[in-house]
Amino acid sequence: MSAEAHYLFPPARAYQLNRCLHAIKSDPAFCARFLAEPGVAMAEMGLSAEEQAGLVPIDRDALVSRGAHPYLVFMADLRLRMARESGSLEYF
Amino acid sequence: MLVGAFACAHTPQLLIRPPTEDRDLVLRVHAALGRVRERLAALALDAIAIIGGDHVEAFFLDAVPALAVYAGRECAGTFGPYRYRIPIHEPLARAVVEQGIERGFDLLYTQGATLDYAFYVPLHFAMPTPPVPIVPLHVNVYLPPQPLPRRCYEWGEALGAILRARPERVALMASGGLSHFPGTDRYASPDFDWDRDLLERLAEGRGRELAAVTGAELDKAGNVELRTWITLLGAVGGARADVYCYEPSWHHGNAVVEWPL
Repeated sequence: MSAEAHYLFPPARAYQLNRCLHAIKSDPAFCARFLAEPGVAMAEMGLSAEEQAGLVPIDRDALVSRGAHPYLVFMADLRLRMARESGSLEYF
Repeated sequence: MLVGAFACAHTPQLLIRPPTEDRDLVLRVHAALGRVRERLAALALDAIAIIGGDHVEAFFLDAVPALAVYAGRECAGTFGPYRYRIPIHEPLARAVVEQGIERGFDLLYTQGATLDYAFYVPLHFAMPTPPVPIVPLHVNVYLPPQPLPRRCYEWGEALGAILRARPERVALMASGGLSHFPGTDRYASPDFDWDRDLLERLAEGRGRELAAVTGAELDKAGNVELRTWITLLGAVGGARADVYCYEPSWHHGNAVVEWPL
């Protein structure tokens, strides 16, 4: 796959960052902790100061440039918005 | 027996609609999925084998299988407020794993992995009444390096042969697509022309051509998830697609298709 591809092999250096994004999207208890105390939740995941700055608020380009998987950024962001804006959503 | 073949979009906005989504468009896709539900009911099924691309939900970077079969008693997951739990057709799942391995496909199987919304969303709208058990079949679509489209097609050929030789009445369903670029700067610019050309080819029974598409081409067209459709195409060969709907939203080409068998 070329370097211009939209989805790239996730670099090992970004494992903790991707793990944090995965937990936001897939672990409701962690997502609640992240919403309540983002600094504590991100420290729990061992994120660097730069990674933490990219997550609050979510800066997609900064996170992807650090190796975050674009889909994980997308869905973590969507889950956070779903939690914050649940009143504006229509459920089928 | 393989008695039905379908492909469906699964965008989460079909299930949970934010104000940014066109409500009428969403309802038109629901109507197409309702047609699938009626067809599935008429087929008097014993099981639905559903091919989906886990969205880095069950299979995170701790273990990234190219192809996997859910072979437990049931499978479960959550999406937002939705909590779902669906029985698995255990004898069929086991046969798919055993015979798939026998045919040279090194399948991962799981009896406990979470079921991603890629599988749940189409079933939420299209599961017939009374419901039938499923066999979820994962194809890695988002974590490079993904399986080659040709390999997906070959796995579909083997899967079709396995299902046709079984006593159960089975429908095969592919979940995913069409063009979209979640999490990238192309999110608001899907390749709808690519989708329309694809659907024309499928309507003409030219699905075999998809075995020759490259992974780079799928990525460029926002169709990494098409690997699930290509797997299904391996099973249905040159059948002609009946396109129930193609509804391009501002970020996603929503398609619902049947291949009458």
